[in-house]
Amino acid sequence: MKNFKEISTRLEIAKKKIGISPEKDKGSNAASLGNALKISTELVAAVIVGSTIGFLLDNWFGTKPLLIIIFFFMGAAAGILNVFRSAKRMHKK
Amino acid sequence: MALNPMHQFEVYRIGPEINFGNINLSFTNSSLFMLLSAIAIIIFLFLGTKKKSLIPSKIQIITELSYSFVAKMISDTAGSKAKPFFPFIFTLFMFVLFCNMIGMLPYSFTVTSHIIVTLVLAVVVFIGVTIIGFAKHGIKYLELFVPKGVPIVLLPLIVIIEIISYLSRPVSLSVRLFANMMAGHTMLKVFGGFVISLGLLGGWLPLGFSVALTGLEILVAFLQAYVFAILTCIYLNDAINLHH
Repeated sequence: MKNFKEISTRLEIAKKKIGISPEKDKGSNAASLGNALKISTELVAAVIVGSTIGFLLDNWFGTKPLLIIIFFFMGAAAGILNVFRSAKRMHKK
Repeated sequence: MALNPMHQFEVYRIGPEINFGNINLSFTNSSLFMLLSAIAIIIFLFLGTKKKSLIPSKIQIITELSYSFVAKMISDTAGSKAKPFFPFIFTLFMFVLFCNMIGMLPYSFTVTSHIIVTLVLAVVVFIGVTIIGFAKHGIKYLELFVPKGVPIVLLPLIVIIEIISYLSRPVSLSVRLFANMMAGHTMLKVFGGFVISLGLLGGWLPLGFSVALTGLEILVAFLQAYVFAILTCIYLNDAINLHH
């Protein structure tokens, strides 16, 4: 058990050293890069899904250019909503 | 052919051709590398948990670190109610991470650079989360599509937009991983091709770029696995706690 005690005192000393050093949140850098990658695709994906739904409905009802245009804009709105929500979630943290 | 940057993404058959009706189930290089990463995860976790000493060895530290990393991610984003789903998210994270990392080795194949692989993973998450939501809340889960305080005139429009936003989840999840991996590997190959075609005189600049890009790609490989797992947690949070 002597070995164990020695390690716990060493850990305490090491922890104190970490507390003093100014380098603290290195992990948050990677997390924000992850957020940037996340948001960029969210906008595009909703536009793709909206346009696809419009295209399929157009084929189904035979109203060729009308629904794809409407659903393109709906998809864009959904994308902006997605981005807005992610940004809000990031802000809350 | 060696200079073609898209050549690395080719899927080819290894061994005999296996057909079940119209479905081709042959063993390909893609399946080989999926199997390899699964085996690598099992070996890694087995070695890390074999000798559970109080003073951990290096591999035990990494294993415990990956466990606590995922556990903290789940409790931070989805709360304590999501604890039962830890095994699934841990498996997902480790699989994507190992596939990405094994893809960084020279002469290997990156499984996650094919949209069909990432789409299947994302659709499994999407369907699973939807089932969990309906199982927990029943028909009330549909309230997710009806935000509070919207005028009745705008409601049909908002509901359609919300449904598109919900359906875009698997697409954004899969396209993100696939596009990042494919673009990165193509770029590495293009710069590698420049080194050869520019020769001994001008090849040093692209060589430096490729070294830097390799470092960046390793970062991206980790980050994409992290983003995939954390978004699964966020969707799980929506399903369990029923709010955005």
